[in-house]
Amino acid sequence: MSERSATTGSGYRLARAVQRSVFSSAGFAPLLFVILLAINVWLNPARFAPAAWGTLLGLAAPLIGAAVASTPAFLGGRGGIDISVGPLMGFVNAIIVLVFIQMLGVSSPFVIVPAALLVGVAGGVVNAFLATILRIQPIVATLGTYLVLVGATLTILPAPTGTAPQWLSQLAGTWSILPLGCVFLVWWAICRTPYYDQLMAVGSDDRAAYTAGVPVTKVRFLSFVITGLFSGAAGLMLTALIGSADPAVGPTYTLIAISAVALGGVSLAGGRGSVIGAAIGAIDIFLLQSALTYLNVSTFILQISYGAILVLAIVLTALQDRYMEQRAQRAGS
Amino acid sequence: MNAAKDKLIVEGLRLRADRQAIDESIGAGEIVGLAGLDGNGQERFLEMLAGLVTPAGGSIGCRDDAGRTHAINSFRRAVSHGVAYLPRDRRASGIFPALSILDNFAMATVTRDCVAGLISYRRRRERYDHYRERLSIVAPHPREPITTLSGGNQQKVLLARALALQPGVLLLNDPTRGVDIATRKILYEVFRELSNEGMALVILSTEIEESLHLCDRVLVFRDFELASRLSGEEMSADRIIATMFGRDS
Repeated sequence: MSERSATTGSGYRLARAVQRSVFSSAGFAPLLFVILLAINVWLNPARFAPAAWGTLLGLAAPLIGAAVASTPAFLGGRGGIDISVGPLMGFVNAIIVLVFIQMLGVSSPFVIVPAALLVGVAGGVVNAFLATILRIQPIVATLGTYLVLVGATLTILPAPTGTAPQWLSQLAGTWSILPLGCVFLVWWAICRTPYYDQLMAVGSDDRAAYTAGVPVTKVRFLSFVITGLFSGAAGLMLTALIGSADPAVGPTYTLIAISAVALGGVSLAGGRGSVIGAAIGAIDIFLLQSALTYLNVSTFILQISYGAILVLAIVLTALQDRYMEQRAQRAGS
Repeated sequence: MNAAKDKLIVEGLRLRADRQAIDESIGAGEIVGLAGLDGNGQERFLEMLAGLVTPAGGSIGCRDDAGRTHAINSFRRAVSHGVAYLPRDRRASGIFPALSILDNFAMATVTRDCVAGLISYRRRRERYDHYRERLSIVAPHPREPITTLSGGNQQKVLLARALALQPGVLLLNDPTRGVDIATRKILYEVFRELSNEGMALVILSTEIEESLHLCDRVLVFRDFELASRLSGEEMSADRIIATMFGRDS
């Protein structure tokens, strides 16, 4: 009986599964994306013309990068969070411009890109060690690294300085798709490895994961390292966008990235959500910012609207979850 | 019992430091039941066999096909030497409610789906289909969340997860708890088949009838000691109950 219904209804089931996976993985962010994009294009067609897409994406890239970077730590569950993403981006920015370009005079992408990623990974390893080996609560552990990184950045770089090489500036303009594309490609590859399944399992229920033979600590450790790696990439995108070293910009990304992640349907309790959802959430925030700036709304109102939309989206996602759960239970019993 | 075919060898095992040691061996193709009033050590015994609880004394060894004995001192080692464990409370420590049926099935064996380091969903699907047929899992599309299944079918998916490890020893912690009659019959049949194929099964059951129906012999626990081993003629409901309550001697 089940065989037959599985074959005749497979097309329908597949369509429903795809629809559900987009919705359950990104909440209401895609819907919001369509609405906000329409409003933006209507308000300011020139800014959203195809010729300007490169620059536009370059503007949004650091936020998208920060949101994507924050996601793996959340997915690992049990309070997994990395609030040091923003300061780490700022630290990478300072190291690249100040140390590599100004002090050492190196500007080759083959040195700078690996260096940025390496600094990111190092930050991630420190967070991972504190949160999973020493078992300090992740929010406290990464608050520690947050403060250390902010202080370290300000010590080596008290005021904005320096210029980014041309190849890097182009990564925020014509070629802005390149760094983001690489990050998504890396994540896509991770999703195809056993690690991704294990990460989702650990985030979903770590006790069940342990009895299923998943190396829980190792999986969580790596989630912080991946967050660090992507923070390094986001630091590059930030450097490309601002074209100099600025100690004040990085830390502002932490909270807004967490909002983007939540808006994008990533469960802050772990085990649910996707990097794509986080990216869509980040684009939503960027579009909202863009529309309200065009309307000359004050930045305080901007903050209020971020908060309001965030809360609304999360409430709607929770309601949708409850509905799905009830339906699943009805189907199960 | 043929010593050459022993799968699990328990030597001087103490459930508590101040209790009598247990020596036991469980052979290939045997179905051994564990019985006792709740909280008399039978569950701890099973968890020690699985490497989840460190014994208060003594050792547990697992013998592979080549005749070598490997000490089991952690859950990870137990799994890698072919000892699979099916937990009792599937809602609390078994299923991943957020994940699909397919992913729930594959979780213990994710690396086996890899082709050149990347997961092949086709291979995973094929592996799942094999067990779906064998355990007659009644399920919609395997990409649906596991919570869409009935309790019995969720249990079958968990059993499939354990069997996918292709273990030599299967430890079952009250496998038919909250499972309907039809599913029970299927599970009993599968357990017998597995034992005929040479797997050693240890089943903790809270129902005496189940142990009598299924097991070759029953170990009865009382107060964290092995009170008696019953097999053949001695294996009766009266005898088991008497032993549980300590009225046997």
